[in-house]
Amino acid sequence: MYVPGYYEFCSRVKMIVGHDALERIPGALSDLHAKKPLIVTDKGVCQAGLIDIVTDAIKNSITIGAIADDVPQDSDLQIVNRLATLYRENGCDSLIAVGGGSVMDTAKAINIVVSENAEDLMKFSGAGALTKALKPLVAIPTTSGTGSEVTLVAVVKDHERELKMAFVSYFLLPDAAILDSRMTLTLPPFITASTGMDAMSHAVEAYTCLAKNPLSDSCALAAINLISENLLTVMRNPGDKDGRLAMATGATLAGMAFSNSMVGMVHTLGHAAGSVCGAPHGSCMAILLSFGLEYNMHKNGHLTAELLLPLGGSQEYIKTPKHLRAERVVDYVRKMNHDLHDASGGRHARFFKEIVDRDGKQMIPRVQLADIARAALSDGSIFYNPEELDYDDFLMVLEHAWEGIPLDRSRIKKG
Amino acid sequence: MFLPDNYEFLCPVKTNSGNRALEHLPFELEALSARKPLIVTDKTVTGQGVIRKMINAFKDSGVTIGIFDSMPDVPDMQLVTELSNIYRNGEHDAIVALGCGSIVDVAKVVNIAASYSVKILRDLAGDNLIAHPLSPFVVVPTLAGTGYETSKFAFIENLTFSSYFLMPDLVVVDARMVRSESVETTVATAMVALAHAAEAYTGPAKNPLADSYAYAAIQYVKDNLMNVLKKPRDTDGRLALANAASMAGCAFSNMQPGLLHILGEAINAMFHIASGICMGILLPYGLEYTIQKNGYHTHDVLLPLSGFDEYAGTADNLKAEKAVNIMYEMQQDLYTVTGGKIPRTLEEAKIPKYMVNDIAEKVFKNGAKEFGIDDYRMVLEHAWEGKPMSWD
Repeated sequence: MYVPGYYEFCSRVKMIVGHDALERIPGALSDLHAKKPLIVTDKGVCQAGLIDIVTDAIKNSITIGAIADDVPQDSDLQIVNRLATLYRENGCDSLIAVGGGSVMDTAKAINIVVSENAEDLMKFSGAGALTKALKPLVAIPTTSGTGSEVTLVAVVKDHERELKMAFVSYFLLPDAAILDSRMTLTLPPFITASTGMDAMSHAVEAYTCLAKNPLSDSCALAAINLISENLLTVMRNPGDKDGRLAMATGATLAGMAFSNSMVGMVHTLGHAAGSVCGAPHGSCMAILLSFGLEYNMHKNGHLTAELLLPLGGSQEYIKTPKHLRAERVVDYVRKMNHDLHDASGGRHARFFKEIVDRDGKQMIPRVQLADIARAALSDGSIFYNPEELDYDDFLMVLEHAWEGIPLDRSRIKKG
Repeated sequence: MFLPDNYEFLCPVKTNSGNRALEHLPFELEALSARKPLIVTDKTVTGQGVIRKMINAFKDSGVTIGIFDSMPDVPDMQLVTELSNIYRNGEHDAIVALGCGSIVDVAKVVNIAASYSVKILRDLAGDNLIAHPLSPFVVVPTLAGTGYETSKFAFIENLTFSSYFLMPDLVVVDARMVRSESVETTVATAMVALAHAAEAYTGPAKNPLADSYAYAAIQYVKDNLMNVLKKPRDTDGRLALANAASMAGCAFSNMQPGLLHILGEAINAMFHIASGICMGILLPYGLEYTIQKNGYHTHDVLLPLSGFDEYAGTADNLKAEKAVNIMYEMQQDLYTVTGGKIPRTLEEAKIPKYMVNDIAEKVFKNGAKEFGIDDYRMVLEHAWEGKPMSWD
């Protein structure tokens, strides 16, 4: 195992995991000297009945300050400010976030506002702006997932000024994260697939990119194992409690991994596709993952090769000659997307041209690939990618990801 | 993959590891809102010149440091009182333990005293009696650890304190601090880490979160111990071993103590042989015992021990056995490489055979009832003789 010249690792979130983990929230809040939480969530989570499950589990032991269920798809500054006011008006002393990435980001941002009495959230953006602990925050993910319950980042959009603010600080880490199988039992197959591949891409990039370290590697391997063993299972049998808990754990481990070792080109391109076309993050990750592995193979193929063990199992690993393992991994990832496509009744996209919105309209038209390539140039995550990419390289990868054609590796630069 | 239902996991320790890790300390202390740390260490550590490196790291930081290095061999409550006074009078707001073992124990207990008061200290001994976070606490370890440095435990006189609030906020593993130690010390540190990590990885409370620390620890020890013994100048190797010790302490804090720990500490208390050396002797036998008790937790401990290729190439029903064999081979290698300094059996460690029963009885009587007295006796007898348990 590699010994980095220098590395940092921090994952100090208290994890409470189980089929009845929610019932331990009052104890967790009491340990944090908190009595009156604001529950932050969105309408989708509410409509799925998940908030009722949460409140049933805790209402006899704790006073809920208020429930805010109007977090939009993308975390928004106005909502953050409004909910901070709601927090204060109800005399809350803590936050419980129940939802996916945007709910988590919103809750983290609300926490900044109420803890720092921030008039202008913008002042706290970037890294290092927070200097002391915030109010207690308990995170309950309802997708498996973004891993936001264990990341130190929050992103909030200011739709009025058309800006995106990123906040990076260990103080943003939730104090506790609750992984309870009830929170994902009814997750629709299509979302299970895309969020599952989002988690997979976090773990794979953490393992194969430049800032890897022994602890992030450990987490990543376990995550890849759990996700590859359970994703298709829970697609076909959504009520599989053990499978759902395994996926939740895998997503958290993936979050711990990439939070401490950064990511690479899959995220660079995925962020760009999301911001230019509004394409769902998980769908983009799922499609781009195999291309990232292909593109970087001449640099990190030896690392990719190792992933054949958790992805394919012992037999597959042993029978595949060493120099072919990395390519087999790429095949496995592509096969996963195909299987997920089938298991989701065709809704999980295998390539960019297949991503459609609710009305069946194509979300990434071919003509926009150039815009996406341009947007990718200004994304910082590319710094940790093993190989360089300029505009032409980005465009080449995007075109292949659009059609679903493997890269011609002879055309990849060797920087 | 094994997945338990219903567990909790917490590791509040941040890790900064590698070259010039110490130079990050002023920045990290600032992030912990600390302006005036008290550095607690001893003359052995200062004698090695590292204190100068620590002072230099703080040179332009605007941080004032206080240094206490008169740590006696056997610290007591009087020392804790003295240090607490120094802490208060000096208006310190953070504690940095520079070193291992009792230096860290004292630092932890002083931290409790600084938050509560020396008077009620004894009342806080036991499990989870500390109710709130203490002052920022950093550990800068050497390679002479007892395995508890990053753990939730602290020991002073006959008291044991146990609380997640005792785990350091930060562990700084700096290449210059983890200098070469004696053969016995290096092996002891590494084997405590290996034993604690292996027990976390194969024990009844095994979970994927603790495993992520345990896995890295096991692999780091397995990959680096022999190299460091053969080539003490192997800086990466020493960094890896120190990391393993830190990671194992984190995993261990989330588990109930296992057989290796219980027996290892008992033999240490009775015969004054380093716990790590004891645990190293017991490792293969303890592992064999675990296999017989709950086989399916043990086969995947082969992965960090052997690496991917050997793991994948070993049939599932042979994985556990291979893991045990690797432990036996390690023992033999340690013995050979050190010219016989590291005992392979309890007999070689000069423990009289008739004492085996005494150890088992003492351990059982002390309340460690996770295992039966016959279990303790069986493992000890095999470890005394060096006789593997049969594979039925």
